[in-house]
Amino acid sequence: MSAYTLQKMIREVNRRPDRREAYFASRETFAQAYELTPEERAAFVAFDVCKLYALGVHGLILRPFTLLHKMPEPEYLTAIRKDP
Amino acid sequence: MPLVFAAAASHAPGITAWPDAPPAEQRDAVRAALGAMRDELSAARVDALIMLSSEHWANFFLDHIGAFCVGRGAGFAGPIEPWLNIEKAVVPGDPALATSLVEAAYAGGVEPSYAYELEFDHGTMLPLHFLTPAMDVPVVPVIFNTLAFPQPTAARCFAFGRIIGDVARRSPQRIGIVATGGMSHDPGERNHGTIDSAFDRRFLDAMSKGDNATLTALSAADFTAAGAGAFELLSWIALRGALGPATGRVLGYEAATAWATGVGFMTFDAAKAA
Repeated sequence: MSAYTLQKMIREVNRRPDRREAYFASRETFAQAYELTPEERAAFVAFDVCKLYALGVHGLILRPFTLLHKMPEPEYLTAIRKDP
Repeated sequence: MPLVFAAAASHAPGITAWPDAPPAEQRDAVRAALGAMRDELSAARVDALIMLSSEHWANFFLDHIGAFCVGRGAGFAGPIEPWLNIEKAVVPGDPALATSLVEAAYAGGVEPSYAYELEFDHGTMLPLHFLTPAMDVPVVPVIFNTLAFPQPTAARCFAFGRIIGDVARRSPQRIGIVATGGMSHDPGERNHGTIDSAFDRRFLDAMSKGDNATLTALSAADFTAAGAGAFELLSWIALRGALGPATGRVLGYEAATAWATGVGFMTFDAAKAA
């Protein structure tokens, strides 16, 4: 399944307050617990929304994730409509 | 006991998260529609609500996806979204009603999954925020897989809805059914913000009249063309299956671009449902 673990990990940030806190404390440390491809890990740690979308993160996982970052909608849409 | 209340409502999270984003008249029209719905619900004096809603990756992930899931818990906490602008609460469940629904479904040839632990997201909490703001009416949630392909067909949802309606009518309690979700929208995807008002109005018309042939003929391609979020209308089609010949009224429809969703609100003459 494309981006299976990546999506599962981001969903945990969206859903679980304790995981959210760990994520905002350190993305790098948070991501160490998950088996990601180097490309996925780099996009996640960089909060590269364009790349995360291109890697296959579902919009209903990615947009709530960006809302936790208070990313305005136009900025989100610009990011996912770009070529990575 | 007759079914005493039936309604369908969009659950666009912007309604509470960004209430002032649309023009004031549009925001007010939506609030008026939800207010009218709440008035009808209050008059119906329901003992419990069966809420037909959509999965948004709140309870399920790709490790386990089923077509339908009935919540059998004694209570459900929500919303899970910290940005929704709705206070966290625990909504009481109705395990006995939920069990009768699961058993009737299995006996009737539809096998939903069930769960004693579910959490509520905007799909359930947003309508409840307006309809039962004290969060004191017991709810049996029925979660539809509307986001992971393949989704259940419209015809299958309609058939499940027939069973749900029968359960409501056989209950010794006064039951209401609320379908939530839709209408056209493509949340979080590249066409986010695209609204197909013509599709939405055709759908509302079919829901109002009980044009079940049109509703059950809707295909995955039809929903996809109206945006991935249009699959959430499968819960509305299930509601229509519960309603028999009852006619419906559109309380409001807005192409709410600021909320990136065509939002619709309906109630039905539940007493005529058979």
